[in-house]
Amino acid sequence: MFDLVASIRMSEPQRTAQSQSPDFSAWVDQHGDYLYKYALFRLRDGSAAEDAVQETFLAALKAYRGFEGRGSERTWLVGILKHKVTDHFRRITREAPIGETEDETFEHNEFFTRTDEWTNHWNADYAPSDWHATPAELIERSDFWKVLNDCLSPLPKRTASAFTLREVDGLSSEEICEVLSISVNNLWVMLHRARLHLRNCLERNWFMKEATH
Amino acid sequence: MNLKVYDKIKHSIRWWLLRRLPTCKQTVKAISESMERRLSLRERINVKLHLWICLWCVWYLEHLQLMRDTIRSKATQELNLDPSSLPPLSPEARERMKLKLSQHHD
Repeated sequence: MFDLVASIRMSEPQRTAQSQSPDFSAWVDQHGDYLYKYALFRLRDGSAAEDAVQETFLAALKAYRGFEGRGSERTWLVGILKHKVTDHFRRITREAPIGETEDETFEHNEFFTRTDEWTNHWNADYAPSDWHATPAELIERSDFWKVLNDCLSPLPKRTASAFTLREVDGLSSEEICEVLSISVNNLWVMLHRARLHLRNCLERNWFMKEATH
Repeated sequence: MNLKVYDKIKHSIRWWLLRRLPTCKQTVKAISESMERRLSLRERINVKLHLWICLWCVWYLEHLQLMRDTIRSKATQELNLDPSSLPPLSPEARERMKLKLSQHHD
């Protein structure tokens, strides 16, 4: 599904692209920042993002003859980078300790009461409040993205990867399960835990502070 | 007076339902799963009824949707137009990549 070579070879070679070899190092100035930001937004790790961009340029160099030139060069490079980012998630989750999915730290049982009468209903200390926010307002706030990153950081690697692949790139459950080698039920549990944790973290570290300003 | 009676009945129905429907903990899990798969009819009815009586779970659903919409909008917008939130490639990395590209090209 994420076969890079196959995706690159899908295009028919274009003769003009073969005959004129461009200045490949100029790619770094033309597309470097864009690709780096694209990777950094997903990987949240500067050196991993740099590695993904460098691998993208080198893969593009090798595959340049297969670039048909109909689309823009940047779109083609982003297509390669997508695979490199997915490969990164595949690699880090392979290296993550087995049984991480069983980690119940992020089950967040404390969010719900344990009293006899209202067991497993919201604990008032952790219950959601009205955020009064829209995506358009939040997108412009760079400090919001910093808080979001900080909230994602403590999540187990598999869980954070699943959340990023689902919510950032909108991959289907089947695609994510293939990348992370997990069952669909495991994926749903991970996404649920990630959302439960993130929502609470954002409320405490962003929305509550914003409300007091 | 009539209004007070109506409110009392409404409150009693809500109270009665809340004790019989799936809990908030079960409902927030179902809300998350509803973003991944189509819930069964029974699950959908339970979630709808629960949302009718529990404002906290309504907000939970709204927050998940807001997080998804915000993250996806950010991911799809032209990142070059928003230099404030993400740093550019460092000069060192830039030079290293240029060197690698020229080495591999030769």
